[in-house]
Amino acid sequence: MPERVKTDMGGATAALDYDAELMLRVKEGDGASFGLLLEKHRSPVVYFLYRMVQNHAVAEELAQEVFLRVYRSRSSYEPTARFTTWLFRIATHLALNSLRDGKNERLQERLDRDSAEMPARQVADSRPSVEQKMVYQARLEEVRQAVAALPEKQRAAVLMHKYEEMEYSQIARVLRCSESAVKSLLFRAYETLRARLAHMA
Amino acid sequence: MKCPIETRDSAELLLACCTRKLDAERTATLERHMEICPACREFASGQRAVWEALDAWEAAPVRLDFDRRLYRRIDREVSWWQLLVRPLRPTLVRQGLPIAAAACLVVVAGLLLERPASAPPAAEPQSAQVEAVQPDQVEHALDAMHMLGEFSYRVRGDAADSKM
Repeated sequence: MPERVKTDMGGATAALDYDAELMLRVKEGDGASFGLLLEKHRSPVVYFLYRMVQNHAVAEELAQEVFLRVYRSRSSYEPTARFTTWLFRIATHLALNSLRDGKNERLQERLDRDSAEMPARQVADSRPSVEQKMVYQARLEEVRQAVAALPEKQRAAVLMHKYEEMEYSQIARVLRCSESAVKSLLFRAYETLRARLAHMA
Repeated sequence: MKCPIETRDSAELLLACCTRKLDAERTATLERHMEICPACREFASGQRAVWEALDAWEAAPVRLDFDRRLYRRIDREVSWWQLLVRPLRPTLVRQGLPIAAAACLVVVAGLLLERPASAPPAAEPQSAQVEAVQPDQVEHALDAMHMLGEFSYRVRGDAADSKM
């Protein structure tokens, strides 16, 4: 299958990504195409939401809602933008709502609980010492706290830029702002993160 | 080269360089500049530290039952009507369709048979008259005919008597 195909939308030829093509098939009633989209985007969406809300259970619940909304919207879907732009717009919207919905008040509590629940990550040595594990956990905690302390939009922009490797233009479309606003958000966000995390070098 | 730290646009280049998103040519130019610029060196070092710290932040794998839970929710969204009809669907497909087809045929046939009765507009007043006659009117008419018959019989009888 080609990664991109050309389609005619309203007279103007526009690039339509393969995901959008799959979504058009979902619109026509092809359930298998929805399965393919889910398979491809499940993890990126859950990870993005996890890093936004910093709670696994909440992130998975929100991701379910994201895919449910995608499925519900299938009949009205129009490929006016890249599929991932639309997908992450829904995800960001839900994450921001969740954070503003009073749930962020319990964020610190979650961070503490999740830190305890998270399995210890294997570092370079296959059997890390207790000290290495503690150092890793402390560093991880510091990263999570630094990201959590960012204003919501800056956080979303950094996560899409760093982990989803999105271009400024796509982040701008997801956040519904200008490209220069995204550059500004990212610049300020990385400035804050540098101030908090530069000592880790 | 002008120091990238001084302008926002150029600082983006520096950011792109640190995040390995810049082409080789511009990366080389920036690296040459950084060798002589402590401010840019510090920026780059800090940004690389941030990048590596973020790299270390791995998310836990998605639970295995994620899809199952999602499809269950999707199924729950199916309307009550579909839920009502679903158990009957095999029966409807096997028996309902022929019944529906037969019903359609009956309706179509009824419509076709109905059409000639109302077709000729000239006959309409006559048939309407016939349809409008009530039973008591028929009774009156029969009485009148009977009386008329009796009257004509008596008239004929009187005429015969007068001839004799």
